[in-house]
Parts: sequence; C-alpha cells; structure tokens
Amino acid sequence: MVASKRLREAAVVAGTLLAAIVALRLSARNPGELSTLDRGILRLVSPAQAAMSIIARAITGVAGRYVELTHVRAENDTLVRENSKLRTELIEMRRLAEESGRYQRLLGLRDVTPAETIAARVIAVDASPYFRVARVEIDRGDGMVRRGMPVLTPEGVVGRINRVSGKSSDVMLLVDPRSAIDVLIPRTGGRGILRGKSGENGYRCSIEYLARGEPAREGDAVVTSGLGGSFPRNLAIGHITHIFPGAVGLYQDVEVTPDVDFARLADVLVIVAPPPAADPDPGSHHLPARGLTVYR
Amino acid sequence: MRSAVTLTVAFLLLILQSTVLEIAPMHMVAPSLGLLVVMHVGLSSKWTVSSAAVVSFVTGYLFDLVSGAPQGVHAFVFVIMSLCARALATRVAVQGIVLGAAAAFVTSLISAALVVIVRAQVAPEGGYGGLRQAPVEALLTGICGPFVLGLFRRIDGKVDNARSRVGLARGPRPLGDPAPWK
Repeated sequence: MVASKRLREAAVVAGTLLAAIVALRLSARNPGELSTLDRGILRLVSPAQAAMSIIARAITGVAGRYVELTHVRAENDTLVRENSKLRTELIEMRRLAEESGRYQRLLGLRDVTPAETIAARVIAVDASPYFRVARVEIDRGDGMVRRGMPVLTPEGVVGRINRVSGKSSDVMLLVDPRSAIDVLIPRTGGRGILRGKSGENGYRCSIEYLARGEPAREGDAVVTSGLGGSFPRNLAIGHITHIFPGAVGLYQDVEVTPDVDFARLADVLVIVAPPPAADPDPGSHHLPARGLTVYR
Repeated sequence: MRSAVTLTVAFLLLILQSTVLEIAPMHMVAPSLGLLVVMHVGLSSKWTVSSAAVVSFVTGYLFDLVSGAPQGVHAFVFVIMSLCARALATRVAVQGIVLGAAAAFVTSLISAALVVIVRAQVAPEGGYGGLRQAPVEALLTGICGPFVLGLFRRIDGKVDNARSRVGLARGPRPLGDPAPWK
C-alpha cells in the first residue's frame, strides 16, 4: 500500500519533470511559437497585466502627491490648501504635457520612419532578470505584428518582437543576451554585432567582432547598419561607454549603453512593414538607403 | 481545492511580479514571488511531493509565459526547487521570519544559477552570464519570503478549516480505529 503510493508519487514527479523537459525542447526547436493553450493563457494574462500596470501607475502618482502635500503642510496650514491644489494641478498639467510630448515625439518618429508603423503600450517589463523582455499591448493591428519586427522609441531601438499572442506581444529588448543586431559606428564606419550583456546591474550591451584596428572612442554613437535583414539603417542604438583595454585577439571588447531608458518604457512603435528596398540612386534623396528586409 | 486556491494566488503574484517595477524604487530586479510559492508547497508537510511538483510545474510554466522566457525553463527549475525544498524540510524545520527569509534567500540564489544553466542549454547565444543580479534578487526574495510564506500558511489553514467542517481534515479513518462519536 505504502510502496504503491510512493511509486505513484515518484511517477507524478517524474512526469512533471518530463513535461518540463519536453516544453524546453519544443521551445528550443521553435522559439517564439505558442501553443493554443499558451495563447489562451496569455489572453487571460495580458488584460490582468494591463490593469495592474494602470493601478501601479496610479498608486505611484498618488504616493508622489502625498509626499509633496505633507512637506507643504509643515510650512503653513492656510497656504497648504491653496498650494496643494495648485501643485496637484501643476503635476497633472506636467503629466499631461509630458504625455503629450511623448506622443508628439512618437508621431514625429512615425513621420520620419520610412515604413509602416503602429503604436503599442508597454504593460510589463523584465519579470525575470535573466530574460530582458517587455510585453506590449496593441489596440489595433491584430494579425499585423509578427516575430522579428523592430520596435522603436524616439530615443532609439528597443528590440524586436519575439512572441505574438493576440493583442499583446513580447519584445526581446536589445539588452537581452539572446539579442544580436548588426551595428555601425558612423564616425569610423566600423561594424560589429551588438549583443545584450547579461548579469550587469544596468542595461548594457557589447559590440562583438569589432576589428582591433577600428579607432573607436568612448562617446561614439552606435546605429543600426541595416544589414542582417531586420532593422532599417541608421536607427540610434546608444553610445560607447567603455573600451576594455588589454584584450587579446582580433577583436575589441566594447561596451555600449543604449539611448533608450528601458526602466521607463511607456509607448513604443512597431515597424510592421519592411522599409523600401535599397535605393539605386541614394544621392537624390534625403533618406538613407535601405537594405533588403525580410521578416521571418 | 487547495491546489486551485494556491495556483490562483500564484497567478496573481506572478502578475504583480511582472508589473512591480512600475511602483518599486529599484529597477532591473524584482523579487521572485513565484519561487516563494514553490518554496511553500515544497516545505509544507501538508503537501505531498507529487502535488507540490505539479503546482510548481504549473507556476513555472505560467511564469515562463508571463516573463517571456522560453517555455519550460522556469517550469523545470521550479519542479527541481520544490524537490530541493522538500529535501530541506526533512532536515530543518523552516519556521519563523529569520529562517524563512534565509531559506528564501538561498533558494533564490540556487534557482538563479539553475535558470542561467538551463537558459544556456536552450539559448546558447545567451551564455552563462546573468548571475551578478542574483544576490539582489535573492535579497528582495528573502525580504518578501516571510510575508508570502505566511500568506500561504494562512490560506492552507483556511482550506483546512473548510475541510474540517465537513469532517475531512484528518483524511480517511484507519481500519479498526473507533469512530470519535463512539
């Protein structure tokens, strides 16, 4: 009786481990693929995350206002009411102005991006420190978003779509160690592969395969090269913040800090259509030539 | 019943974990609340090893979906961690705030190492990096540990009370054991 119970327990434990290993193998073979069950769960999760995100932002706003109010109350009781009212209005106006500015910058980016884009709202960032992934929600454009599509903000490249489930999608941030983007240093013309640095207490990347002879300097801007078939050319990535001396071999060890503040991601643009094909006469246009782009 | 309640709370905690960075003053790292669910089911004698493993698997799988990690990474690690927690519970009685926090801290560190190892197998391009944040994550998990474990103990207690009201609190009566009303 006891032996059979133990056997049953062991079988269940082995079954769960086996199921986990099968899930691992499937996800390794088809990264980004979601089963019907997964899609169903994500359809439940995304609205909950969006609601929680709204609540969290509201709490932050209320807490901030409370701190300000208590500080003013200590000065003068009579002035506090008037002061707090004005401050609250000011905070609200600033928030609205900031929001308006954010949308205007996003619209500006949309105007200068020579490809079809749709806006998306970030509902979750970095649930796990070992996978730098943000979840975005798109109100319109069901079925338009696909894996591999670039994601931008006015500050620069955010990453690319990794998984799609209905209105929500996972964006693999460019600081994720699995991310690889072909980049260019405009000042020198040097090229390399930008890869996310894991394990850093900050959002950082490194450039791999940057030839040792390249005269890269700290402060140099880094942009997308347009090669590799995913990202349009000349999109801002970040700046070189450190060049590690003493490394041996053919390539340099260069650290890049992205221009995008991933901790404060709020609204992003997804490029849903590839940019125009390479221009045969780039001198006749202001826009840079675009490479061949195929989303897989 | 207990599994369903635990999984519902686990689901809510995972949603909270994925959005906690919005309100928390620290960026980059959040406490691993899902792992605390696994710790509870692994440490508690009220849970059988098999039910703890199943709940851990489901919690891990949910976390994989919520966090955008490849499916199976946290599911596998959480099952392993529930077995480790059970092994720990047979040797040490993890009770009280200090022991709870310490156990959560250590479990979080081990879990982080396992996640990085499994990630390197699934996505080799990611390498073995990522452990520099593990101590901070473990510290936050350790701070949250006693509260979350206490919450789950209360939930277990409530579920047990409901069972006891219908006479199921102690499980089936052994053969030959006189009924309590005799």
